Amino acid sequence: MTALDLAGLTKRYPVNTAPTVQALDLTVESGSLTALLGPSGSGKTTVMKLIAGLLTPDEGDIRLGGQSIRDLPPERRRVVMVFQSPLLFPHMTVAENVGFGLRMRGVAPSQTAARTAAMLEKVRLTGLGTRRPVELSGGQQQRAALARALVLEPDLLLLDEPLSNLDASLRDEMRDLILSLQRETGVTTLVVTHDQSEAVILADRIALLLDGRLAQHATPDEIYRRPASRAVAEFFGGVNFLPGQAAGGVFQSDLGPLPLPPGHIKGGSVLTIRPEAIVLGPGPDARDATVLACTFLGTQTRVELDLGGTRLQALTNPWAASELAPGDRVDVTLPQDALWLLSGS
Amino acid sequence: MRADVFRLIAGITLALWLVLPLVPLAIWSFAHGWRFPDILPRDWSLKAWAYAFSPTSGVVGSLGLTLFIAAATTVLAALVGVPAGRALGLHAFRGKAIVTLVLLAPAIVPGIAVALGLHGVFLRLGLTGTVSGVILAHLIPVIPYMTLIMASVFSSFDTTYEDQARSLGARPHQVFIHVTLPAILPGLMIGALFAFLVSWSQYLLTLSIGGGRVQTLPLTLFTFASSGRNDVTGAIAMIYILPGLLVLLLTARHLTGRNAALTPRVAP
Amino acid sequence: MTLTKRTRIILLLAPALVLLGGLFFSALGLGLLRSLRYMPSIGLSEPDLAAYIAVLSSPGFLASLGLSLWIAGASTLISVMIALGAALLLRQTFPGRQFIAFLFQLNLTIPHIVGAIGILYLFSQSGAFARLAFAGGLIGRPGDFPALVHDPFAIGIILQYVWKEVPFIGLILLANMQAIGEDHESTARSLGATRWQAFVHVLLPMLMPGLVAASALVFAFAFGAYEIPLILGASAPEALPVLAYRSYTDVDLAARPEAMAMAMIIALLGGAMVLVYARFTRPAGRGRNAR
Repeated sequence: MTALDLAGLTKRYPVNTAPTVQALDLTVESGSLTALLGPSGSGKTTVMKLIAGLLTPDEGDIRLGGQSIRDLPPERRRVVMVFQSPLLFPHMTVAENVGFGLRMRGVAPSQTAARTAAMLEKVRLTGLGTRRPVELSGGQQQRAALARALVLEPDLLLLDEPLSNLDASLRDEMRDLILSLQRETGVTTLVVTHDQSEAVILADRIALLLDGRLAQHATPDEIYRRPASRAVAEFFGGVNFLPGQAAGGVFQSDLGPLPLPPGHIKGGSVLTIRPEAIVLGPGPDARDATVLACTFLGTQTRVELDLGGTRLQALTNPWAASELAPGDRVDVTLPQDALWLLSGS
Repeated sequence: MRADVFRLIAGITLALWLVLPLVPLAIWSFAHGWRFPDILPRDWSLKAWAYAFSPTSGVVGSLGLTLFIAAATTVLAALVGVPAGRALGLHAFRGKAIVTLVLLAPAIVPGIAVALGLHGVFLRLGLTGTVSGVILAHLIPVIPYMTLIMASVFSSFDTTYEDQARSLGARPHQVFIHVTLPAILPGLMIGALFAFLVSWSQYLLTLSIGGGRVQTLPLTLFTFASSGRNDVTGAIAMIYILPGLLVLLLTARHLTGRNAALTPRVAP
Repeated sequence: MTLTKRTRIILLLAPALVLLGGLFFSALGLGLLRSLRYMPSIGLSEPDLAAYIAVLSSPGFLASLGLSLWIAGASTLISVMIALGAALLLRQTFPGRQFIAFLFQLNLTIPHIVGAIGILYLFSQSGAFARLAFAGGLIGRPGDFPALVHDPFAIGIILQYVWKEVPFIGLILLANMQAIGEDHESTARSLGATRWQAFVHVLLPMLMPGLVAASALVFAFAFGAYEIPLILGASAPEALPVLAYRSYTDVDLAARPEAMAMAMIIALLGGAMVLVYARFTRPAGRGRNAR
């Protein structure tokens, strides 16, 4: 079932510049956790504010559960946005913050208190309700902000870069909390982020926004393995693009014929392979390559290779690369099932 | 340590100089006659204070009137100054420099330059000699302080808190009451304090617009000072500086927790 | 219904601008017309400069103008010097620093008229200092004490302004010093500047905008204040504001355009100080350079 439906959504900021968001169509399935992913300046936060009602679209419609919410003020949309920073109101206690939306709606104090307490327990802030926001750690503030939104049981939860302000140790904790709360409450969630790893670890589905348009909308695994275009592949760290021609299940390129994985029937002129899929070392289908450079990246080593005039990059585990030096000959295998044919350029 | 000694002496001199003009006023208020060349009065009494608080002197009525005018001026200035301060503090717009100058000028251009023309305008409107006329006149120097202080308050206010509140279901007036107002309240208190003191200290605008019929405390003080009643003058002066002292003590403790409540903006 | 940003800004500014415009600018406008002797209701419908010519050619006016410029200039200069010293002192830690900082703020809340009467009781010929001088055998009778109030050099007036404005300028400088921090001076010292060189070449130039802006305020105030010269000034020449107000309330209504002309001259100087102040301060708020 569709929860959120954006149709032809367009927003321009000042006159004379290209629209920040241009004719965006997007559907989000009920109960899903979808990430709206795009580089900075791609209009993600604008999309989120349009859905939350904090901005008015120039064109297009926003439907929630089939009803248009385009002309509703934010407080009547049943959509709650959680900003990147926790934004707890400093003059209220943590519990008053969490109960804020209920009070604004005129919910009875006793009920507000009960729901607030239950919510605080869910985000593991039991006992901290009487504290002031400044007395909480960064991670606790983030959890309180999440509780403040979820206590309202919204039809749609919007999260703006929920992990990007956190350091590495808090990131995992917050991700687990968001995932478990989302599973428990089943709230349809849209996460906006510029960080592909954040999108991959959180979302069931990723809507990739490039230049104000939807470039691909699929599961993380699918985007990783089967990018819809070269731009999508590049955004996800793809670096190897071989020109050539596909015919009869075989890709003809400067490397000679490369058999494509079964089921690969459509035509295309660019073949891609992820650098971490390239295998170094002897094997039945190995090819001869020359090492051009090795760069240790912390947990992996990047090896730049020359295969008879064709340059490829491989990412490999540092032990495998420890013996390699520029100029060495090395055996390289391009596994058949890691090849992916890009349509178009 | 010679530097320490120098600092201490300079500090003591400064402190003495700061309180010195208040000393004869305080002594006079308790003096029962204080003739030249006595260093201190021979007899002390509470006569001046008793007189100041008696109905015949008119000081109590004058005090109430001054408080009312200053409070009304402050409230009116806040009503127009908070929105204007928001526009100046949060937004960039064409003509902002001009608007700032227009808002600044009434606070800096001396009262005498305005008072005479204003008297002519108010004469036609029937506002001379009335309390409302005096309040309106006081708004001229007070609105700028309020607006400019609120502008600096709003410039450090994060409006995403308001977006967050809207998104959590608050209506616009609820956002103002529950989120914006608490956030700007400390700054608004400082602005109100300045506004109050500027109106409270006003002499010429009250004299020219009130035409002697609106007898605020500084006018009463001047009357007694020029009639040679030094003891009553001393008592009124003490009463006159009391509210400022009180708000200073209150704001220093509650607003900042430090003694930094009053960093002057434009009030010489 | 949503408002455009521009409409919102106009609506936010409108009440303050309309109120100030209705009061301040209408008062200045009427003053200007009157000073040009434009009063159609009594048959004067041809503006002329007669009042300005009369004022500018009157020795009494010129003496008052000169006196007020002297008062404003001397008060501002002396206040700035002492305030600089006081701010440098208050930046250091020494016993009683908090107390002096408190006295500075207390002083800000005291109305000028109280300070003026206090100065009068301190420095008049029968005042506190005259009594001390008598006790010390320096004078034999009140008339021997030098005239420090109601005197031709306006010493009493200047003393009052210095008393009020040293804390005013001092607190502004102190706030600026805190904002600037001590890193620049430390850098200068480590590059070989003496304490004095670091002050003159590094700190003082950084303080200058704030100092100039504060001076403009003090100058405008000391030039245009009425009640302080009224209490502490000599009867002749009077400070310009006192002369202007007396002319305005004169029984001879013919003096009114001249009073208005004097008010306009004071407004002109005030306006110049507004420009100086605005030039040396950054307006509060974001994006001041935005179009």
